[in-house]
Amino acid sequence: MKIWIIILIGVVIIGIIGTVCAYFFVYNKPHPDYEKAEAAYTLPAQELYSAFITNKTDAEKKFNGQVVSIDGTLKKMEIIDSLVIAVFVYNQGVFGDEGIRCTMLPKFNASAKTLQPSRIIKIKGLCTGFNDTDVILEKCSILNQ
Amino acid sequence: MKTTILFIYLILVLAINANAQIYATKNGSIKFFSDAPLEKIEANNRQVNAALNAGTGDFVFRVLIKSFEFEKALMQEHFNENYLESDKFPSSTFVGKVTNIKDIDLLKDGINEVSIEGKMTIHGITKVIREKGTFEVRQGKVSGKSTFGILLSDYNVAIPNTVGNKISKTIEITVDVFLEKVNN
Repeated sequence: MKIWIIILIGVVIIGIIGTVCAYFFVYNKPHPDYEKAEAAYTLPAQELYSAFITNKTDAEKKFNGQVVSIDGTLKKMEIIDSLVIAVFVYNQGVFGDEGIRCTMLPKFNASAKTLQPSRIIKIKGLCTGFNDTDVILEKCSILNQ
Repeated sequence: MKTTILFIYLILVLAINANAQIYATKNGSIKFFSDAPLEKIEANNRQVNAALNAGTGDFVFRVLIKSFEFEKALMQEHFNENYLESDKFPSSTFVGKVTNIKDIDLLKDGINEVSIEGKMTIHGITKVIREKGTFEVRQGKVSGKSTFGILLSDYNVAIPNTVGNKISKTIEITVDVFLEKVNN
């Protein structure tokens, strides 16, 4: 009888530990740390833009949802409400500049605002796709401050 | 593919009109809200590409699905992998018209009721929608807002029974775009 009680208590304890782990590591798991994440691809910014212009379907399969590191000549910084966006420009379209738009992680907003146009910068971020005018990178960090 | 062609066609139509007054933004916002018995879920997307032809009323927007941000990482993962299948359907679009654009003076400050009609494409399914919103004009800039509901099943978004009490069948969508005149 005693052995069964011990086994039952053991099962209950394992169940409680499993539930707690599931809550913290699965249900409540944190978002990826994009600043620390390793880039799946490292390439010149112009090459990333060209990939989407040349073959959008293939580029989406390759880059969408991946952390990408790019380097290129910064055209401008845009500040829209709380968003700080580094812009690389490779085309002029109906709505003006077209290229790559990199929205910074909040931690990099202050330093990003000091970046000067024409500077060569290296940025890493999550590629969320191409909206027919720009390639979008989010959760971006600056690699060569 | 068809929606991309239609979207690009509309952009060209907006541009070709010789007297086109194009208002646009690259960082509009779309928020969606689900109010279910067991959970309230909200997600925000601040990478909305939107454009309006003030002369014809043509209005388009495109939003990348992977740009929706959730508080819970697991919900964001399920949203992308299982519900909206963002690898298969990377974006959603609206291609349509502000049907009462002739009644609105975008040179005069004020708040205007707008009626919008067009094709909404989500998860590869296109439906005609007709909704109301507002255009607030301030110093030549247009703040466009609209809140409406969509039925997930209309767009083949399947919610498993196991989470049926956590995700509402009807989702509230709020579009908020700040449009500025494009210098041509």
